[in-house]
Amino acid sequence: MEKAKISTIQLFILMILFQLSNSLLIPLAMKAGRDSWLAILIAAAVSIFLFFIYRALYLYYPSLLLTDYTEKIIGKFLGRILAFLYILFFLYCAARVLREFGVMLLSFAFPETPLFVACALMILVVIYTVFKGIEVVARTGELLFVIMIMLAFFLFLLIAISGLIDISNLKPAFEDSSKVLNTVFTETLYVPFGEIIVFTMIFPYLNQAKKMGKTGVAAISITGAALALTTILNISVLGVPLIERSLFPLLTTIQSIQVGGFLQRLDVIFILALVIGGFFKVTVYTYCAVIGTASLFNIKEPSKLAYPMGLTVLFVSMIIASNYSEHIQEGLKIFPLYVQLPFQIILPVFLLTIAFIKNRKKE
Amino acid sequence: MSYRKFLKKMKPKEQREDFKKGEPKSIGTSITENLNIIKQKTGNSPDIIIRMLTFSHDPGVSTAIVHVDGLVDNPTINEFLVQSMEDSVQEKLEEKDLFKVFSEKVVAVSSLETLKDWDSLFLALLSGDTVILADGKNEALIASTRGGERRLVEQSDSEITLRGSKEGFTESINTNTALVRRIIKNPNLWVESMNLGKQTNTDLSIMYINGIVDPDTVKEVRQRLGRVDLDAILDSGYIEQVIEDESSGLFPTVTHTERPDAVAGNLLEGRVAIFVSGTPHVLVVPAVMIQFFQTPEDYYVRFPISTLIRMLRVFMFLISLIGPAFYVAATTFHQEMIPTDLLVIIASQTESVPFPAIVEALIMEVTFEILREAGLRMPNKISATISIVGALVIGQGVIQAGIVSPAMVIVVATTAIASLATPNYDIAISARLLRFAFMLSAAIAGFYGIILGLIMLIVHLTSLRSFGVPYLAPFAPLELKSLKDTIIRGPIWSFNERPESLHPQNPVRQGKHQKPLPPLKRRMVRADTKEGDKNES
Repeated sequence: MEKAKISTIQLFILMILFQLSNSLLIPLAMKAGRDSWLAILIAAAVSIFLFFIYRALYLYYPSLLLTDYTEKIIGKFLGRILAFLYILFFLYCAARVLREFGVMLLSFAFPETPLFVACALMILVVIYTVFKGIEVVARTGELLFVIMIMLAFFLFLLIAISGLIDISNLKPAFEDSSKVLNTVFTETLYVPFGEIIVFTMIFPYLNQAKKMGKTGVAAISITGAALALTTILNISVLGVPLIERSLFPLLTTIQSIQVGGFLQRLDVIFILALVIGGFFKVTVYTYCAVIGTASLFNIKEPSKLAYPMGLTVLFVSMIIASNYSEHIQEGLKIFPLYVQLPFQIILPVFLLTIAFIKNRKKE
Repeated sequence: MSYRKFLKKMKPKEQREDFKKGEPKSIGTSITENLNIIKQKTGNSPDIIIRMLTFSHDPGVSTAIVHVDGLVDNPTINEFLVQSMEDSVQEKLEEKDLFKVFSEKVVAVSSLETLKDWDSLFLALLSGDTVILADGKNEALIASTRGGERRLVEQSDSEITLRGSKEGFTESINTNTALVRRIIKNPNLWVESMNLGKQTNTDLSIMYINGIVDPDTVKEVRQRLGRVDLDAILDSGYIEQVIEDESSGLFPTVTHTERPDAVAGNLLEGRVAIFVSGTPHVLVVPAVMIQFFQTPEDYYVRFPISTLIRMLRVFMFLISLIGPAFYVAATTFHQEMIPTDLLVIIASQTESVPFPAIVEALIMEVTFEILREAGLRMPNKISATISIVGALVIGQGVIQAGIVSPAMVIVVATTAIASLATPNYDIAISARLLRFAFMLSAAIAGFYGIILGLIMLIVHLTSLRSFGVPYLAPFAPLELKSLKDTIIRGPIWSFNERPESLHPQNPVRQGKHQKPLPPLKRRMVRADTKEGDKNES
């Protein structure tokens, strides 16, 4: 751990930005069709329980990182192996997000730029940020959050006044509840909501531990609401068939804005949201991997790990899949069930149970 | 002998002490000897004036006054000091101790003190004081006679305001501290003085308001100044560069101002001012970034107007940072984002231009920087010529020759004006430098490059600190209460607290309910309102 503290408001913003980042841009919970917004809301509600699991773990070990207390809970040997696996998990997640980001960016804005260059430029900035530590990450988040909010208001206003919203696209609602629930537990719960597992690496930096519960619940609720609202907006503007075919529904929505003959093709706003979101998610994941490694292997200056870890993320993101459809396939079919489910839910529950039993014995 | 050892041998040994060993440290009793030492030390410089005086009191005892020509106030010495020395001796003929007589009776100068060691004697002498030596005395009397030709208090050239005080600081440190004292008449306004610079012995004062300022900040300032071991301090810029947090960064983490009202305002918020003798630029620490977009005048006009002006300044700063980069990115990578009609115009203009947008932009920007630098240090008459040549070269020649497109000229000119509109030169110059970096990143990766650059800039800025205060406070970390006086300038009656980020000892700035309460609003006036009531319609 580094010597630093973040405030509750910073944690709040970090959580929102982290969860929103790339999920704003990609089609979310589209398996549920026009009820996808409902799936998002349910997933958000369920993830509040998840959050309380992570919080309970944190309350047992308020000054330790996830990768530190695994050792305390299940013993030195197994604990360290688990911590190492978590670090790999964070690294892999960072690489996945980076890859997705790179492909998205190139596919609509820079068709002729090599993927490696786009990702490398991004990782340079990420490395620089991780090098500066969690305080800088949190403060940067505060500023970027303001930019994102302003963009959101601006866009919402433009969409509203350009008369694109067609509520009838949302009807009929509540069509097939099993489909919605199925989407929640196979997809949406893990991305983006389950990803708050990384915050077990950030909670110990909080300066007011008491307010953490409220902050987390508020952040998750707002994220859920924002994502659901975006999805509603997309569906009502584009309709389900168009969304299912588009890679980036939000981009399509933005591109359909035309106000007064000159406010059109606002792609730059999308690029802005995309870069900020991608940057933030990769940074938080990489940071957690770096700080975890530093504490696991007892490295005095975690910032020195920023370069090697950053470059690792870059190369992993290149070799992760041979093409984008393979990547998406992995992301939808394999990754949630075989990686995210255990790392985000099963293992924390398991850890919490043991911690609970151990701590009861002491009393 | 290895190369490194050789180098070590070549280095001259440090000669820190002016006084070599074996020389007397304190003043001796013989006046001739003492005067000889002064003459020898100063190399017989003719501007060191030594006058021998003999008083009727005891003809055997000779007295000398020593001062430096030009540094002292001549009338004070000739008319008052010497005269009153004579008078005092006349008055107290029985008293044997001359210095005692002087210190008791000579009231014509503002202060008299005795010194025993040569170091402080020379410091006083060279600061403009008059040294009085007497035979048989192993001490010297120092009369405060500082004066000489100084620039008068004038309006500052670099910070011009339409409203507010016209006074600007001068090169004299005493005048400067006095100018601030005249604004804040409060015994809690504390000044600490020190002397820095091994060769120049420059006077330096730090000023703060006890009870408002965070004591840790003062301690930090003292400590950082205490570390300074420079040869010379020719301007406050020297001090700034050795006490700032980020010495190699582009952004200033210390503000400086030429205006007493600005210093007073900052002191009242809980900052510390550093006055350096010989320069009208007073340093103020800690500095946050938003300060560089504020001027004292913002507080003197009504708040909606200054809010708008401050927003305009930040916008100007952004333009001067990424204006050309934006144009380069849009025309090189994202033509589809430009409205078609405009694109057609730009395309028809750039058709004959043989260079890509980035080269055009670099040519124009470099040309502009050259013109600006050339115009800056020229006498007025020549700079007019430069501006004519510049306008013709940029405005006409380059376009007619088809080297640069007119659209690019517009962009560069707008950027140039925007850069000049940033009120603080220090921050404007950082934008000026970064502009080139942004242009390059735009040429490499379009908007993506610009956005990445901006994120990197934000990360850099959030990591900066100035004397412990985060540089982007109160935005990051967020302090809601202090947001009133940032890009927006809230009404004066709402400034109830001092900025949180400075950790003021006394956070309450003023009483609550300062909002003006006129007796009746001019809405519909009731029929029973008395005649002569000022609020009747």
